[in-house]
Amino acid sequence: MDILNNLIIGFQVALTWTHLFYALVGVLLGTLIGVLPGIGPVATIAMLLPITFNLSPVAALIMLAGIYYGAQYGGSTTAILVNIPGESSSVVTCLDGYQMARQGRAGPALAVAALGSFFAGCVATLIIAVAAPPLAEVALKFGPSEYFSLMVFGLVAATVLAHGSLIKAIGMVVLGLLLGIIGTDVNSGVLRFTFDIPELSDGVGFVIVAMGMFGTAEIIANLELKDKREIFTSKVSHLYPSMADFKRSWGPVMRGTALGSFLGILPGGGALLASFGAYTLEKKLSRYPEQFGKGAIEGVAAPESANNAGAQTSFIPMLTLGIPSNAVMALMIGALMIQGIAPGPQVMNEKPQLFWGLIASMWVGNLMLVVLNLPLIGMWVKLLTVPYRYLYPSILVFMAIGVFSLSNNPFDVLVMAFFGVFGYICVKLECEPAPLILGFILGPLMEENLRRAMLLSRGDPFVFFQKPISLGFMIASAILLVLVALPAIRKKREEAFVEEAK
Amino acid sequence: MFSRRAAALFAAALLFPALAAAQAWPTRPIHLVVPYAPGGPVDLSARLLAVPLQQALGQPVVVENKPGAGGNLGADFVAKSAADGHTLVMGAIATHAINPALYPNFPYDPIRDFRHVALIVQVPNVLVVNNDLPVDNVNEFIAYVKARPGKIDFASGSTGSTGHLAGELFKQVTGTDMVHVPYKGSAPATVDLLAGRVHLMFDNLASAAPNIRAGKLRALAVTTLSRSFFLDQIPTLDESGVKGFDLTTWWGVMAPGKTPDAVVDRLAAEIARAIEAPELKERLRAMGSDTPTVRTPAQFTAFVQHELATYGELVRRSGAKAD
Amino acid sequence: MKIKSPKEFWSGAMFVGVGMFFLIWAATHYQMGTAVRMGPAYFPVVLGGLLAVLGVAVLLEGLALEGPAVPQFHFRPLILISAGCVAYGYLMKPLGLVGATAALVFISAYGGHEFKWKEVTILYIVLMAFSWLVFVKGLTLPFPVWPAAFE
Repeated sequence: MDILNNLIIGFQVALTWTHLFYALVGVLLGTLIGVLPGIGPVATIAMLLPITFNLSPVAALIMLAGIYYGAQYGGSTTAILVNIPGESSSVVTCLDGYQMARQGRAGPALAVAALGSFFAGCVATLIIAVAAPPLAEVALKFGPSEYFSLMVFGLVAATVLAHGSLIKAIGMVVLGLLLGIIGTDVNSGVLRFTFDIPELSDGVGFVIVAMGMFGTAEIIANLELKDKREIFTSKVSHLYPSMADFKRSWGPVMRGTALGSFLGILPGGGALLASFGAYTLEKKLSRYPEQFGKGAIEGVAAPESANNAGAQTSFIPMLTLGIPSNAVMALMIGALMIQGIAPGPQVMNEKPQLFWGLIASMWVGNLMLVVLNLPLIGMWVKLLTVPYRYLYPSILVFMAIGVFSLSNNPFDVLVMAFFGVFGYICVKLECEPAPLILGFILGPLMEENLRRAMLLSRGDPFVFFQKPISLGFMIASAILLVLVALPAIRKKREEAFVEEAK
Repeated sequence: MFSRRAAALFAAALLFPALAAAQAWPTRPIHLVVPYAPGGPVDLSARLLAVPLQQALGQPVVVENKPGAGGNLGADFVAKSAADGHTLVMGAIATHAINPALYPNFPYDPIRDFRHVALIVQVPNVLVVNNDLPVDNVNEFIAYVKARPGKIDFASGSTGSTGHLAGELFKQVTGTDMVHVPYKGSAPATVDLLAGRVHLMFDNLASAAPNIRAGKLRALAVTTLSRSFFLDQIPTLDESGVKGFDLTTWWGVMAPGKTPDAVVDRLAAEIARAIEAPELKERLRAMGSDTPTVRTPAQFTAFVQHELATYGELVRRSGAKAD
Repeated sequence: MKIKSPKEFWSGAMFVGVGMFFLIWAATHYQMGTAVRMGPAYFPVVLGGLLAVLGVAVLLEGLALEGPAVPQFHFRPLILISAGCVAYGYLMKPLGLVGATAALVFISAYGGHEFKWKEVTILYIVLMAFSWLVFVKGLTLPFPVWPAAFE
């Protein structure tokens, strides 16, 4: 039993007092910065790097990894409580999590998020332990055409996110795609829609758009109604999920974990799709799709599990190929490089203690997080009883600090305010922000991969249908499109009949 | 008693403000601007340098990330900051040699708007090919490419990156025809190189090293004139027959253009001491960089001038633009 | 012609406006390229056109089907919250964290329903202390704490 032996090595490393301590420091710090909107794990890890040089490589990596997945846990807390997605993955959690909080069910939402994440973390850790190298081979199978087809599939799925008008949802996706184009074109280097503003040359930050459209807009809308806050908190029923909640959650957690684990492996932005994909899947499978967007617990359980599973499996390309899937991984590679260790194909054999110690510590860290987060739920829910006139300026201060810290540039705060106004208009017009955000994330990736695929195939559009994986996603998109369109068409016709009958 | 010496000092301070500034400098925290997002190698080295510098200067050295416009935003910010030695920037080959030719309406003069204090890192790029490519050295590679004009793809981290320009330079010098495929960072480019969807790449030596050592990618040559200590079995392009091919990725500390000599010299001395101390030296070597060949501010300015001319020409000839 | 469903009508109008803007701007400023070798204008032109078409459909729906009115805009919170954020960003450098936070807290609090100087001042002091402790001391963010004139 190789795996067993390896895991024993790993736990021997992870369960020493020093390493337990650094795992704890990591997850605590991660939770803190996850809860604070805008301050992400990237900035935090960058600031901590000089400190990590004095640690052993294993301790450094364990702590940095703890910050990374601690931030995922913390991010969902802010999304649920105050509708601010600090991480791309928590956008989806806002949809139903925040609605649950408004119905006085913040406690169950937070608990399901934590438990779902824990389960997903355990499974994903096991996956890394058992199958990291073969899965890395899967990651290599995804080239530009595969990614493009995956993105198409993701966009078709995005329309399911809408709970209002389908055509408006598609419009918002396209609008998001267009906003994503702002900045330097990867393929030609041309600056597009930057209007000679140098700050726009790298595009608009995702966090900034999301905070404006969700956070600021929500505050403005809340301030319209006097004493809205009292309605908000008076009916906090119970802190922890009921049996019925658990029954409805376990399926979504399992499916979310599976989907997240798979998408997390893809280094080219797969993890971003995980939470969106899981949410969409549940909405299609659910017996109560009409509750989605209005506080369905599945809408929290599935994306949270998916995002945590994806966060864990995104270690696979880094550990086995030395390829970072995101900025945090790039930093960890940097931290290890400074220590004289280059993550890559050889780490597993040459540094088994580092490799397996990290994996074991992931599980330990997840356990710490769930133990830490469950008792905290009471405190978070208490926070909602603070009168809104104190709460909203505080939220604004944290958002402004977070956004400003992204690049120490006032322009970013201006952009957040702009998207706050735009988000408010969208609320009034019943145009939903979530499809826009997904389009915004996927737009640049999609265009980049489409044009790269065309460049590599020397302009042959059939590449998307010749490669099996790509073809598979194209067929799946077509089927999904029909599935999505049918009920909408039927509904329209029914509405039309009702009109006539009047 | 108001001593004569004090009076003389006071007069000296009035007459030679630079001297007074240098004696007083640094009077408050120093901001070291990194014109890129946190986490990259430039950021990493800035944070490494900040620790010993802080000890030597007795004031906190704060690393501040100001990303945007390929680094131009942060560099421009420092060019227009107060020239009192409290605002510095990690200027790089991109911001001070490549971008001026790449971007229209370039906001600053990379020579006159800066004092070039100290070069910190010099890393070679390395020509790596996919393992399935039936070539073992540079000559075979050139013959292989020449037999397939326009059919070979070279990947790079972005348009206008050193990886891209190394490829363009290689095309010019060897008279080959390859297609440039830009990516968003070298990680996704490496994935496609490993999988064989692109054929080659001029990658940063340190980041390509693990895959080279593991035999997953084949390294044909480094782009510098001399071999790198980091992987010294890899020949240079120059010794492989591509005479005079010399390209190094570099970055270093710079100050606003009117910063007084005294401040620049003190800073340069402290940085030189820091990067030669075993602790930092070891870590910079781990990033693939040996102690820089450029050692004084004057040498650094001459170096930047030379680089600016070289890459300006190269960018113009390759036709790359960011407008 | 009568607008039957203002929400749909104005959403459609917004889509058409934004879509046409992206389309025209891209078409006049960047290279179109061909489907084989797409230029930088290709994607925005196609997407802008698509958005405009979708917008027309939504707009027509707004003319054909009965729907609810657009709820009233409340300009006081809208303007003051946005202004507070912008002030925060642009005052950070000249006035430091102390000044910027003051601007944001007081301006945004004024956008609410009740504004009591005493309460807001206490809130400001608490937030300021928290920001200083967590962000400046704890996370060592490179923010100036005091106005630039005092440094």
